[in-house]
Amino acid sequence: MNWYHYPAFISFLICMASLTYHFSRFVRLGVPKDFSLRKGNPERGIVYSFSGAMNPFKKESAYLHLPTYAAGLLYHVGTFASIALFFLIFFDITPEGWIRWVLIGLLTSSGLSGIGIFVKRIVVRTLRSLSNPDDFISNLLVTTFQFFTLGLLVNNASAPFYFLCASFVFLYLPLGKLKHALYFFAARYHLGFFYGWRGIWPPVKS
Amino acid sequence: MSLTNDQRQKALRMLVEPEDSRLMTHLNSCVHCGLCAESCTYYLATQDARFVPARKVELVSALYHRYYTFAGKHFPQLTKARDLDDATVNEMVDQLFGACTLCGRCTMHCSIGVDIGYVVKKGRAMLASMGQVPATLQSTVNAALKTGNNMAIPTEELTDTLSWLEGELKDEVNDPRASIPINQCGANILYTLNPREPKFFPLSISAMAKIFYAAKERWTLSTSMYDVTNYAYFTCNREEATIIGRRLHDTMGELQAKRCVLAECGHGSRAFRWEAPNYLDKSFSFDVLTSVELLAEYIRGDRIKLDREKNQEIVTLHDPCNLVREGGVIEEQRYVLKHAASTFVEMTPHGVDNFCCGGGGGQLAMSEYNERRIKTAEIKADQIRKSGASTVVSPCHNCVDQLIQINNKFKLGVNIKTLAEIVADALVLE
Repeated sequence: MNWYHYPAFISFLICMASLTYHFSRFVRLGVPKDFSLRKGNPERGIVYSFSGAMNPFKKESAYLHLPTYAAGLLYHVGTFASIALFFLIFFDITPEGWIRWVLIGLLTSSGLSGIGIFVKRIVVRTLRSLSNPDDFISNLLVTTFQFFTLGLLVNNASAPFYFLCASFVFLYLPLGKLKHALYFFAARYHLGFFYGWRGIWPPVKS
Repeated sequence: MSLTNDQRQKALRMLVEPEDSRLMTHLNSCVHCGLCAESCTYYLATQDARFVPARKVELVSALYHRYYTFAGKHFPQLTKARDLDDATVNEMVDQLFGACTLCGRCTMHCSIGVDIGYVVKKGRAMLASMGQVPATLQSTVNAALKTGNNMAIPTEELTDTLSWLEGELKDEVNDPRASIPINQCGANILYTLNPREPKFFPLSISAMAKIFYAAKERWTLSTSMYDVTNYAYFTCNREEATIIGRRLHDTMGELQAKRCVLAECGHGSRAFRWEAPNYLDKSFSFDVLTSVELLAEYIRGDRIKLDREKNQEIVTLHDPCNLVREGGVIEEQRYVLKHAASTFVEMTPHGVDNFCCGGGGGQLAMSEYNERRIKTAEIKADQIRKSGASTVVSPCHNCVDQLIQINNKFKLGVNIKTLAEIVADALVLE
């Protein structure tokens, strides 16, 4: 291990400890209690919440904003790919051949999507008024991380900067909006439970 | 307004006590993507950035972050975490009471799945704990708490109205045995009313009485507790909502009725069917259903016969948010209308995607926000115009009230009816 592996590793542990705390709290509080007589099936509601309800043509937030939706989707795929690559790169495993080229293409487009989302947040009035420094920092950190990952795939020389950037991402993740990486799943669970209990999800065909 | 420290502490504690996984989740989930904007009638009608649903979530989550997270305590600027001061409270009252109908449309379309309505209700509950509910809305709750119904109708006035309606019913069906039973023990159904019915729309009581007569139903009304509404659901004062919910629950026990049938009232049916068991921390030992479901049951079971040719006009349906998107009664009213009207057309969008009429969330009771309420109604007026219908049916008296105002304001020239009224018009009496 080189010196720059250590801060990345320690940051990763801190991040995991924090997320584990949040997750354990969620698990400890358990399944929502509801004394009303259920009309539907909460389990099926939860499954639908993570499947059919995610269909972009079912959600206005997606089908009314398809370019933003596509950019967001790509950005998140790029983020997950970057985190997965972090583990490989940490153990000095670098993808080769066509996989490497696919990843270079993905991270280029996801990084550009990140820049696009950043610019939109500045330019669009309603979005700007809704934003706080955390929104901009989170976007900048993750986009930079993706570009450093891309840089490492193209040219291994940027390794110290890459690991320092990864350290910042992991340290920052539990502090601000990036923890939606965990809470997104909790939110879909709760929404699925609520709509499932009342027989709204999954929709019944008339 | 100047809040005491005790008031602030009490309100802030509501964010963490009792620990609520659902609240904790939704306060930590919003990513400020702003894609919820177009799901809100307030934003659509005004294009005002203050009305983006995420802003309403932010008002509550900013307090949570300020007082209960590491980043918010030490670096409040990072997430714009806010102190619970007078300015924040004023903004919360304006946005959470004055610019939200709790319709839940933004929740269903949120890219993450944040239950925005749930967070807004928590914000309202915090305001209620600080005595900051708009006086107009609180007075409706107070009337219900004091008199047993939200319009403070004296019992004699109600019984007089019912007696007159019973006479009319006997004449209409030409049967001296036809009745509107009051306070009968052991009936199959305890039927509830929206106090607007005896006060302003008695014909909707006649309509339902006629349907019960045709179905040969054993039913009753209670003169001590008949109010289906629970405006404390809108103020989010759990203590007061529990008192109102308990009254109907206890009346079911006193009259030993088998089923409680909730009149056409979106929030009332939600408050008793879905929320009251949780207010009272107990499952109910009796069946609770809406009159919409009962009508569909009667038609399916051949308990009533309808001739849809009796309703020749083009009919469309407005979906009450609390009944449909938040209550799961989605297809029953469509089934009923297909049997009761010769031409039924849907609005666009409809069902769980339908827009709020603008009268929900207690808006009709809060006259200080009338201008906003009518402005947001442009969306509904446009939907009605485009449907080409001449009659709009809504199984909610609150929505009916707002639709009547929309009809006048935007000169739509349509008839507004409840579901029971259109069914009663199509009834074939044997």
